[in-house]
Amino acid sequence: MASNHSSSEEVKRHRVEGPQKHIVAFVLSLALTIIAFAAVAAGDINTTFTYIILVAMAIIQVFVQLAFWMHMKDRGHLFPIIAIVAGVFVVFTAVITAVYWVWW
Amino acid sequence: MSAHQHAEGHLPHEPEKATLEGRNKILGFWIFLGAETVLFGTLFSAFIALRHQVLDGPHPSHLFELPMIFAATMILLTSSLMSVFAVQAMHNNKVKAMIGWLLVTILLGLAFLGLEITEFNTYVSEGHNMKTSAFSSSFYTLVGFHGAHVAFGVLWIGLLITQIFKKGLTVVTAPKIYLSAIYWHFIDVVWVFIFTVVYLMGKVG
Repeated sequence: MASNHSSSEEVKRHRVEGPQKHIVAFVLSLALTIIAFAAVAAGDINTTFTYIILVAMAIIQVFVQLAFWMHMKDRGHLFPIIAIVAGVFVVFTAVITAVYWVWW
Repeated sequence: MSAHQHAEGHLPHEPEKATLEGRNKILGFWIFLGAETVLFGTLFSAFIALRHQVLDGPHPSHLFELPMIFAATMILLTSSLMSVFAVQAMHNNKVKAMIGWLLVTILLGLAFLGLEITEFNTYVSEGHNMKTSAFSSSFYTLVGFHGAHVAFGVLWIGLLITQIFKKGLTVVTAPKIYLSAIYWHFIDVVWVFIFTVVYLMGKVG
């Protein structure tokens, strides 16, 4: 019983920290989205440079959301990481193949 | 112990992972999300390859309106945060608060769907429909598939709320709530790539 109590105390302390991390992830996502839209709305930036900004913002935002909102940074998420990495591997193969077929 | 019990009964910490069945559901769901990644990735690959083939139809840079896309993005992002709050309320065993956050999640999902339907309606009236060009077909397939996932999520979370009313929050219902939130975040992650690759890159040219 005693160990039960101490673990639930610990859990409570964790819970207090919880929302703040998620709000930080939200604000970060918001900022990355606004940067991406602003880069396009500005209009007069070099096209290649805009593309680089857009892809960078998207990748950072996805990592933020996967880590915090989908708990991938937490312990015991090896199989989720394997599943998503395997999916992303197939996606890269598909995108590269399709682009190679059509554009070259 | 019994003096500390809640009306809903005593729940372990992180009830979604308390049983083997719950943990297996979470593992299976992640494998499903890996497959979903492939599904959306192949649709993206078709879109990226075909996005310049507009034929006589309108060009993406004339078609897309950034303010509307930005509004839809904000709605879905906020909705994702609401489902985080729902899971946190669940972890604190606050069932009413959890249902409240889930309802807000659903309402924002419906608002997103409403915007998307209006958007597609405008496009069709501007002569950009499913059969216009390779660009329009791949556009509607990709964005439409995402919209269908949002619609399914709204339906799923809606049904879960009615189940919570019937059965309460238990180690059986908790994994479902947790997974619906994970699903909802995944839909938002896919949308990040859609607004980047389809809309913003389409606007750039």
